[in-house]
Amino acid sequence: MSKSVLSSANGLLAAVDSCDLLVAVGAGGVGKTTTSAALGLLGAMRGRRTLVLTIDPARRLLQALGLHDRTLPPNEPVEVLPRMSDALGVGHSPHQHAVLGSLDAMMLDPEIGAEQMVERLLPDPALREEVMGNRIYRALLPALGASPDLVALELLADLHRSKRYDLIVLDTPPTHNTADFLAAGQTFANFINEGVLKWFAKVPAPGENKKPSLWSRGSSAAMGVLGRLFGAEILPDIAQFFRSFRDVMPAMRARSEATDALLRSDVTRFVAVTAPGETSLREAEHMLALLQQEGLPFAGFVVNRVLQAPTVLADQQRVQQSAAALRARLISTGMAEVEAAHLSARLLEGASRLHHLDRADAAHIERLRRMGGSKRFLTVVPQFEHDIHTLGELRDLSTRLVDGAAEDLDRSARALA
Amino acid sequence: MQALFERTVLLVTGKGGVGKSTVAAALARGARAEGKRVLLVEFESVSRVAPLFGRKEAPTEPVQLEPGLDLMGFDLLYSLHGFAGDQLKVKALARLALANRHVRGFFLAMPAIKSILFLYHLHRLEAVHGPRGDKRWDLIVCDMPTSGFVAGLYGVPTMVRQIFRVGPLATVANDMGALLFDPLRTGLVLVTLPEEMPVLETLELRNALRERHGIDTSAIVVNGVYPELLDHDELSALAGAVDGHAPLEQDDALSGVLWAADVLRGRADRAARLMPELREAVGGRLIELPHLFQRQIPLGGIDELAGRVRAATRERT
Repeated sequence: MSKSVLSSANGLLAAVDSCDLLVAVGAGGVGKTTTSAALGLLGAMRGRRTLVLTIDPARRLLQALGLHDRTLPPNEPVEVLPRMSDALGVGHSPHQHAVLGSLDAMMLDPEIGAEQMVERLLPDPALREEVMGNRIYRALLPALGASPDLVALELLADLHRSKRYDLIVLDTPPTHNTADFLAAGQTFANFINEGVLKWFAKVPAPGENKKPSLWSRGSSAAMGVLGRLFGAEILPDIAQFFRSFRDVMPAMRARSEATDALLRSDVTRFVAVTAPGETSLREAEHMLALLQQEGLPFAGFVVNRVLQAPTVLADQQRVQQSAAALRARLISTGMAEVEAAHLSARLLEGASRLHHLDRADAAHIERLRRMGGSKRFLTVVPQFEHDIHTLGELRDLSTRLVDGAAEDLDRSARALA
Repeated sequence: MQALFERTVLLVTGKGGVGKSTVAAALARGARAEGKRVLLVEFESVSRVAPLFGRKEAPTEPVQLEPGLDLMGFDLLYSLHGFAGDQLKVKALARLALANRHVRGFFLAMPAIKSILFLYHLHRLEAVHGPRGDKRWDLIVCDMPTSGFVAGLYGVPTMVRQIFRVGPLATVANDMGALLFDPLRTGLVLVTLPEEMPVLETLELRNALRERHGIDTSAIVVNGVYPELLDHDELSALAGAVDGHAPLEQDDALSGVLWAADVLRGRADRAARLMPELREAVGGRLIELPHLFQRQIPLGGIDELAGRVRAATRERT
């Protein structure tokens, strides 16, 4: 990836054009899934073979892509747009490249993904059977399913290695905060860490004929503590579970490190999706600090759900005059004076309320702008009055993302001049 | 039907960004106004309630915000120490065991550990006795993470029981399950916005919890309902007055004002379209809270919402 491309004026376009991986991060409810889909579509419109990877039991992305009626195989890419076609009207898009891209989407089923991961990790059928039959493993599987981070990161690294796509857009899970997500690979490696493996090595396997007193007396104090925490009865099963993973630990660590390296590499950019509101703002602040602390490359903000009221509402005097003129007109057309006054008062109230929301939004966006600094893009997306249901609407959003970033550039250029 | 505030625990959840914390705070203030001694528990590490009371964050130990209202923040490591201390009986031994970074890493990395320790902590809090031997709190309001986490929470007691069939953790799992699945003790409050996707997901969650775990949602709170500003007749009367009247038609300030009326009308309409389905799902257990036109709700606003919650719960009984 050349530096000149990334420093090109529109940071959002530069990221979509030149990165291998875009990671959408942000609190829930800010439109992260829809934004990811729009970024993916933009990638395809820009001529890249694109995949949107989403962890999405509600299948929201499918709805946004107009695919919700299809039965989809889990954890497999599904074609959304084979090649960008004129059916979508991209032939007239100003963002079109000579080469047409494609768009795939992939829904992650974490529970199935966890099974697949274990299968990949344990190529020995006997060992695999042992793990799959272990009751600790069986009981933990739904828990793994409920925390899709690890599985998502695993799949991500594989997909990137496959070189099947030019661009992968990752929609991070809604149920977890970003810190948990990024640490997922590391966390699992911690769970099955060498230290823990060492103590459990002293515990006999289930069915092995050693009396508990024999091993517990000889083992470390930590072992005794674990026995008291969990009950001695369970320890052999835990021991077996850990032993099954012992041989694949180095491979697991290597994979986790490779994913980590990918997230930090120059081909990756993080895009923070946010919305106006004090809470969202504080969360964006936390996220930025986290990315910085972890040395993860941050590209910019997508600010969704912005009211974008007409600027004229700030002019109190003119607004009042207009309302008065309207009231006079209503009376002249036969409305009772009291009624007309009441109506225009309510109109003014509505305008003033939305104006105040708009001011709050503007102040929040300004804070985000300062937070991001001049090197990051910031694009504002207005609040839609209904959800995105069609590809056409999604394409409009993709275009809006680019235009928003361009407007922001103009704005900063004007501010400098 | 069991009144909302007559339970001992309320779990408040919903899709991200729907105002869970605001609603949890309103429930807590509402219950306090009804004379309950309330503990508000925030699960997420970034506190939203503490700033309303001039605090930076929610402490790990309950602290009094005002008479009748305490606040605490869930902290994984703190709860882990509590759990280990209880099981090992000796606090120093628990500290020693958890000082080992492998032991600590093992616990903190365990799948579902957050859910397990949260439930454990909650069942301990529920049992805490006050100075007079009665319970210290009548009601514990929990500001939970998003829906997915809470849906997983109901599977935790079974999971723990599957792993630990006997022993100390099996007992703990039984206690946790008894608290979580007793509709007289624990209530579930789902928060949504009057928008398509949040409503759809709320109904999906409610159905899934009923089918999978037999959990009946105690209340659905629709947050941020836009007030009725002008009705459709009034809007068309306005449009008629402006139409063909050049000075008004060309007035951008007036078109700004009419834009606002239109936006508000559209949002009120959307809410009205979505409400019947919610009402059909939970009947009288639907609580509507108005949009306050603020991006950050101050304490006064929380109390305004609390008043609405109380009115809605009174109506029901």
